[in-house]
Amino acid sequence: MKNRYAYFIGCTIPFRASNYDQATKKVAEKLGIELTDLPDAGCCGLYFELINEMTYLSMAARVLSMAEEKKLDLMVLCNGCNGSLYRANKKLKENPELKDKVNEVLAEVGREYKGTIEVKHLIRVLYEDVGIERIREKITNPLTNVKAAAHYGCHLLKPSEEIMFDDPHNPVSLDRLIEVTGAKSVDYYDKQQCCGGYVLAADAKTAYRMTGEKLAHVKAAGADMLITGCPFCNVMYDANQKAAETETGQQYKIPVLHYPQLLALAMGIDAKELGFEQNRVRPDMKLFLKE
Amino acid sequence: MDLREELKSEIDGKTISYCFSCGMCTGGCPSARLNEKYNPRRILHRAVIEGKIENDIWLCTNCYTCQERCPTKTKVADIISFMRRIYVKEKGIPEFIKPLVTNLQNCGFTAPIGELENKRRERMGLPPMKTNDEIRKIIEKTGGGVK
Repeated sequence: MKNRYAYFIGCTIPFRASNYDQATKKVAEKLGIELTDLPDAGCCGLYFELINEMTYLSMAARVLSMAEEKKLDLMVLCNGCNGSLYRANKKLKENPELKDKVNEVLAEVGREYKGTIEVKHLIRVLYEDVGIERIREKITNPLTNVKAAAHYGCHLLKPSEEIMFDDPHNPVSLDRLIEVTGAKSVDYYDKQQCCGGYVLAADAKTAYRMTGEKLAHVKAAGADMLITGCPFCNVMYDANQKAAETETGQQYKIPVLHYPQLLALAMGIDAKELGFEQNRVRPDMKLFLKE
Repeated sequence: MDLREELKSEIDGKTISYCFSCGMCTGGCPSARLNEKYNPRRILHRAVIEGKIENDIWLCTNCYTCQERCPTKTKVADIISFMRRIYVKEKGIPEFIKPLVTNLQNCGFTAPIGELENKRRERMGLPPMKTNDEIRKIIEKTGGGVK
C-alpha cells in the first residue's frame, strides 16, 4: 500500500477550517499514513483558471514541483485544489510545449515542473489506496446512532472524463466511507447539488439559496448531520448556514462535519483533538457515545 | 479577435460547434434554477450566433453538471471558463474577484493567513503557514494580476 504523501492544504483550510487539517492528521496517524507538510506552498492557482491560464498553470505547477522534490504523490483536502491541481498536472503531462512555457515562468522562482507525481484527494486516498477493509480494522467506536448525509461536492468527481474517480451521477465512495464508521448514510433529494460557493462573490443571493436548498433536503431526510470532503463546501454549509437561513427564511440547524472528524470519532479518537470548536453548528456529542 | 474564432483556437472551445441548443445543460443547472438571469444554453447560443459575451458568464458555479449531462459532449463549463478568460483580457478582472487576486499577490493565499489563524493552528498542534512571494512573482511574470 502507498502510505506516504506530500500534504497540501491550500487557503481555505488554514484560514477557516484548520479542524479539517487536524482531524485528517489524527486519522492518517491511526492508518499509518505519513504526511509531509508543505507550509510555504500557498494557493493552488484555482481562481486564475478564470483569469489567465498561464498564471493558473504556473501556480499549479509550482505546488506540484514541491511534491516532486520530495518524490511523493500529492494529497489534497479541498475539491477546488483537487480540480485545479489534478487537471493542471494532466494537461502539462500531455503537452510538452505547454510544460516548457510553464517551466520558463517557474525558472523565475528557481523551480521546475517535471510531471513525475500524481494528485489524489483525501477521499480518493481513503477509498482507493487505503481501502474500506483496512479502515474497518481501526474502528473501535462504531457510530451506530448516527444518521449522516454525504455531500461529495463537484471537483472531487468532475469533470469525470479527466478525474476518473467514482461515478459522477451516482457516486458511492463517501457513502461507503460513512458506513464503515457504523453510521447510516442517509439518501436525500438532489444529492449531487453544488454548494454554490463558486458564485458567492459574484451573486451571494443565488449562492445562499443554493446552500439552503441542500440543507432543507438533508433536514427533510432526517439526517443528524451533513458530511463534507471539501473545506469550501463546509464553509458554505456550516459557517454560512446562518446567512443561508437569513436568505431563505428557514431554520436548518444541521451540523456539518469534515469526513475525517466522523472517522476519527469512530476510531475512538477524543473529540477534544478534532477541532470541534471551529464547527459553527455544534453536533450533539452524545450521538457519538457507545450505547 | 472575433469570439467565434477565439473559441475555435482552443481545444475545449472548439466543442461549441457540437452544441445543437437542446437545453440539457440548462435543465440541470443549479444556478439557472435559482436565477432567471443565468441560462447556459443562451450563453452558448449567443456566442455562436452573435459572437458576444455578457456579464452573466460570472454566474456559473463551475459544478460541471451541464458538461456531464451534455448529449453531444460540448464542454459547456470549460467553454464558460474560457469565456471568462476572454472577458478578463478585454475588460479586466471584475471588481468582485479583485480582492482575492490582491491577497494572492500580497501573501500567496486567497485570504491573509495571519497571527490569529496561526495561533489557532498552534493550539491544534498544527504547523504555522508561511506567506511567500513566489506567487506574486509568477503573477507578475504571466501578467495575471491586478494592475
